[in-house]
Amino acid sequence: MIAQPDLTLLETVYKNIYIGVLIILSIGLFLCLLRAVKGPRIVDRIVAVNMMGTMVIVMIAVLSLLLKEGYLIDICILYACVSFLAVVVITKVYIGVFRQNKEEGEDSDGVA
Amino acid sequence: MSRRKTDAEYSKTFAFKFFRWLSGTKDPYVNTVEMTPQKEYKPDKERMKWLEFEEKEAKEKVYDLDNNRVIKSYEKMYHAVAVIFCVALALLLLYTVSYLPRYGSEDRPTNNEVAERYIEQGMEETGAVNVVTGMILTYRAFDTFGETNVLFIATCCVMIMLMLEESVLESTEIFNERRYEPKNDRILQGAAYVLCPVIFIFGIYVILNGQISPGGGFSGGSIMGAGLILYATAFSFKNTERFFNEKVYKVAKITALIMYGLIGSYFYITGANGIANHIPLGIPGHILSAGIILPIDICVGIEVACTMYAFYALFRRGGL
Amino acid sequence: MEWLRLILGSAFLLVGIVFFAIQLYGIFRLDYALNRMHAAAMGDTLGLAFSMLGLMIFSGLNFNTFKMIIVVVLLWNASPVSSHLLARLEVMTNSKLENHLKVYYKLKDLEDEPEQGSGDDSTTDQKGQTK
Repeated sequence: MIAQPDLTLLETVYKNIYIGVLIILSIGLFLCLLRAVKGPRIVDRIVAVNMMGTMVIVMIAVLSLLLKEGYLIDICILYACVSFLAVVVITKVYIGVFRQNKEEGEDSDGVA
Repeated sequence: MSRRKTDAEYSKTFAFKFFRWLSGTKDPYVNTVEMTPQKEYKPDKERMKWLEFEEKEAKEKVYDLDNNRVIKSYEKMYHAVAVIFCVALALLLLYTVSYLPRYGSEDRPTNNEVAERYIEQGMEETGAVNVVTGMILTYRAFDTFGETNVLFIATCCVMIMLMLEESVLESTEIFNERRYEPKNDRILQGAAYVLCPVIFIFGIYVILNGQISPGGGFSGGSIMGAGLILYATAFSFKNTERFFNEKVYKVAKITALIMYGLIGSYFYITGANGIANHIPLGIPGHILSAGIILPIDICVGIEVACTMYAFYALFRRGGL
Repeated sequence: MEWLRLILGSAFLLVGIVFFAIQLYGIFRLDYALNRMHAAAMGDTLGLAFSMLGLMIFSGLNFNTFKMIIVVVLLWNASPVSSHLLARLEVMTNSKLENHLKVYYKLKDLEDEPEQGSGDDSTTDQKGQTK
């Protein structure tokens, strides 16, 4: 696939492995996205997005080795933190809104 | 406190007036400016009647969605026109893109002497290994200052609209929407107990490594803001108030902004007048290097962290 | 030696990708959100850990390895907690929970349940909404 003259055999093999992993994971990302669009309940969607986050972390780590930029792994840590924070805040807010709507709906039903 | 002057004497001094103005206890217009009382509000009855009639007519005739043919056809046309417009816009933009020069070719308009200078001499002039950070925090420091001011003004506007009085906040603590949300989750608290310090330290690491790695003030500040939000979500806002309340917010934010302004002004004035400034550039690649980039990064980081947390807290409960 | 490292690292990476594939298979195969969560947690823990182990072997021992370890530790801390939060979200917001699983509103009901449930006696009272 990639055969540049200035690379040794070992480097070529490494590069091909990295690119193969990236392609496989991007197909996986697409399938996750399918589940996130399809998912009947909100939990399915959040789980799918969370899975995408995990895959993206691996992809960024592979990319950092492929480009030989070690600092890209910082972004992995950031991604892990932010995806966790997103789940925490979304669940909290969603439960609050759901229960409030439910209670208010019951109240209005009782009145009317 | 003991004071040498008497109260009557002290009340004439400038200091007393200044502190009175600062705390805002006296209204300067009372007893000095003549004010006319506001007129009493009198509704115009005929006008009100007409308005009611109009509203009723509108509800019956115009907004009768099931039977109104004009609105139905308009909705259909709206969708069709929207789709056509979007497709046409996308095609137009793609057509324009096809005329752009190839990425990285020599005759690109962005490939001029400014970019050349940034890349070739950026490292020795600014001392930053990361060219982008060196560019936005030294060559374009005032541009970034404007962005930081935008953050400041945005939080000020949100505060004007959403901030509640402290007494109101306390009295409505039980009745606001947080009542419906799960609180004091032991599992989440245990995780936050482990993760919050890691996130804070990682944010500080990113801020301090702004000149030698991708990152810097904006990204590091947002990581620290994320840590604050996680803490406030896991434990309550009341626990967050112990170390980050309105006072700390004010002091940190304004100090960071003023420090940025001072450092940037110093750098620009000395640079424009050809005076040698006293900020050493250091060795590229070390943490204590790159002149003014590190202090400015710290200022920007504090600003962004405060902004992130302030937005979250203001939208969630209307107070810091 | 270099080739050994390549083989070892790619083996671990392959195991990680297999775990991701299992996760993807499970998320389409299983039919309810809570079951799907069980499949999805696999990639968060084992898939990530094995992939990162492979990449660590590739990159050798330096500062980046340390950062990768931090990523794994961070995610292993965060993933169970987010699973717990998501499960609670599902249990709290789903009003037809009985269609998918058997609900015990009190711990006593679970203890009184005879071994190998004798038919589904759906006499669960709506009093104690699961907390």
